[in-house]
Amino acid sequence: MGFFVDNIWLVPACPLVGGLFAGFVARRVKIDPFAPVAIGVGLAFLLSLAAYAAADPEKTVVVSRWIEAGSFVVPLEFRVDGLSTLMLSMVTFISFLVVVFAGGYMAGDPGYPRFFAEIGLFVFSMTGLVLSNNYVLTYAFWEGVGVCSYLLIGFWYAKPAAAAAAVKAFLVNRLGDIGFALAIFWLWTVVPNHDLSYQNVLADSTLQSLPEAARWGIPLLLFWAATAKSAQLPLYVWLPDAMEGPTPVSALIHAATMVTAGVYLIARSTPLIALSPEVQLLIATIGCLTALLAALIALTQNDLKRVMAYSTVSQLGYMFMALGSGVGSLARLAIVAGMFHLFTHAFFKALLFLASGSVMHSMGDVIDMRRFRGLRRRMPYTCWTFALGALALAGIFPTAGFWSKDEVLVALGAAPHASREIGFGMGWLYGPLYWLAMLTAFLTAFYTFRAFFMTFWGPEKLPGPDDPEAPPAPVAAHDHGHDHEDHAADAHGHGHHEIGLESPAIMTYPMIVLAAGALLVGLLFGPTGLFEGHLEHTLGFESLPAAGHAFTWTTPIVSTIVALAGIALAFVMYAEPSDLPARVAAAVRPLYRASLNKFHVDEIYDGTVMALLRGFTLGSRIFDVKVIGGLVQGVANVPWAAAKDVLAKYQNGLIQFYAAASALSVAVLLWLLLFT
Amino acid sequence: MTDPFSIDLLTNYLLVGAALFALGMLGFVSRRNLIVMFLSAEMMLQGVGLSLVAFGRFHGNWTGQVFTIVILTVAACEASIAMALIVVLYNRKESLDVTLWQEVREEGVGPTDLVDEATQAAPLEHEDGIETYPTLTPAGLEPAHPIQPWTERRR
Repeated sequence: MGFFVDNIWLVPACPLVGGLFAGFVARRVKIDPFAPVAIGVGLAFLLSLAAYAAADPEKTVVVSRWIEAGSFVVPLEFRVDGLSTLMLSMVTFISFLVVVFAGGYMAGDPGYPRFFAEIGLFVFSMTGLVLSNNYVLTYAFWEGVGVCSYLLIGFWYAKPAAAAAAVKAFLVNRLGDIGFALAIFWLWTVVPNHDLSYQNVLADSTLQSLPEAARWGIPLLLFWAATAKSAQLPLYVWLPDAMEGPTPVSALIHAATMVTAGVYLIARSTPLIALSPEVQLLIATIGCLTALLAALIALTQNDLKRVMAYSTVSQLGYMFMALGSGVGSLARLAIVAGMFHLFTHAFFKALLFLASGSVMHSMGDVIDMRRFRGLRRRMPYTCWTFALGALALAGIFPTAGFWSKDEVLVALGAAPHASREIGFGMGWLYGPLYWLAMLTAFLTAFYTFRAFFMTFWGPEKLPGPDDPEAPPAPVAAHDHGHDHEDHAADAHGHGHHEIGLESPAIMTYPMIVLAAGALLVGLLFGPTGLFEGHLEHTLGFESLPAAGHAFTWTTPIVSTIVALAGIALAFVMYAEPSDLPARVAAAVRPLYRASLNKFHVDEIYDGTVMALLRGFTLGSRIFDVKVIGGLVQGVANVPWAAAKDVLAKYQNGLIQFYAAASALSVAVLLWLLLFT
Repeated sequence: MTDPFSIDLLTNYLLVGAALFALGMLGFVSRRNLIVMFLSAEMMLQGVGLSLVAFGRFHGNWTGQVFTIVILTVAACEASIAMALIVVLYNRKESLDVTLWQEVREEGVGPTDLVDEATQAAPLEHEDGIETYPTLTPAGLEPAHPIQPWTERRR
């Protein structure tokens, strides 16, 4: 065990080497690029398990020197404690299954080696992020994750929508990175020795000596960073668009390697965040609003993957609600609840995405739920694994989602009381948040099973070219070149097989494993206390207050009832094709339109922030061309004009004149230098 | 330790160097023959080199010597290039007189007076038979002077 912990750098290194091998070597030596990445990520998973068993709150491993500038020293140092090993095992496990799935899903794509190289890099960045032991290194890997997500969302870069989505994801994440960078700068000025390692920043003595402004400012900036990476309210807009990437990438981004980074950052910095109950309340509020808004949008989306994307945003909101409810004596319970929900969510969300990908693969790249129906006989594995994932997402006993969502709700429910204990006046706000979270749980169950019933239930229907929802067929005659280009962008091996068949074993096995996970991890880790026990080995965790919370039946019973009610409503409305949904939609038409159009958030951003930015860009451009450019041109014009009018007449072609002139000039210059 | 190379000795060397430099400069400015001008430039270079060596010796290190050797190397390269250029120029004009190249001047600037003198002085008479070589062109303009009796007699 000791060997694996001391060489923990092998965990990021394996996927990196696998990815580089897949990208640069595999094709030359005639090896399937899928193999090195799968092996690398699989090895990383095994190593993570070894590290998991040996987690120790104080254990750090210095791999090498990195930045050394005077008193500012940042080593390449990894921390092997409860939180990082937990994330590590989860990330590598999910990534391994997704890579295996992608081996089938991406077969035949022209960018096959590139895909696996980027996946390897992605896993490398994420494992590095959760392992690194100081904020600067975390920031470096944070950026690495951003870059890899950009590359993978824009994997089909010839498709304009994919390219736009990639740019959007990158830019929105950039906005969050500003917050992270500012937080690091601020931390640097206030912590002793300018040492940004976690054991220094999160030490009690450091936290006590922080200036008043930094006590709420730094947590706020860190949360700002997390809102972009983990898709929270002001900055969530990139995540639904990230659907343009290949489905395994979506599964990876949504479950393991991307959006969990923000939650991890907040959980890691909990001792710091807990200094300021106001920021915690803000985190919980933003989380709750995000959860509710995303759930409302997910109600009416027709794109199966988009429903899943909004549900991720919504569930991330739950995680932030949990992390934000850690006021006073609840700190430990809150972080356990948030991380536990992250952990279980990774399983069932990866499963749901892979199942959606399997449907999409089978339907010939059609993902609009109105164009297929009743697939449960054709695709039994996909159907039943999806059902398990959906049950877990809805939070039905005894699936994983039930345990973690209840823990979130329990933490939230206990928060008003804990706030009163520490005299935090605004703590009563947690009460409404609790009930909003319950409402979101109802909506979650409803939209999840709406998707399930619309896809797998009712009479069988396969997508045909004459569906009313089908995109208009490209007109071949005058538009041939464009048509061909589009086809090339979409073609990733789906054209060659008949639609409506169950996916191959390489795709169904990962789904079955994940389904088992979605069913069991909650039961295994939650009530047995394994999860909390493991997180005890986290840095700074002992110093957090632990409250023995009394178990109440209220929350599990209420949440189960609302989830069942949501499923029942979905069954009534969508199990058989009927005009009931249409009638309901017509009855609340403005609300329906708003939800279908995602509450026009993108348009609002376009009209306000983007318009401002465009104006600013235009102003900058004018300034650059007219003022800066004019200045440069003007300076360049001065010698030209002087030479033209004054000096030109002395260029008479006589070498002797030139020589005498230079000699005289030098003489004058020497005279001035020597005798004045 | 007393250095036998005193400041007085250095002054002598520097004076010779300066004299070489000044003579070279005067030659460069006053002569019209390309090759002589080039030789003058070389002389300026030697003046500088001599000063450098003297300074090096005075300071008791090799910097001046080494630098001079570098300068000599560069001067050798420069000489070969200059000779090649001079040959090209000669082939164009059949003369080494540099004032014949006055037309490479700014547009709109009039020719300098001595162009007439130059054209008179420069052209080379082609003679049949034995191959002829260019003769040295006169150095600048001959100053106006009264005719002396001893020259009178020779005429």
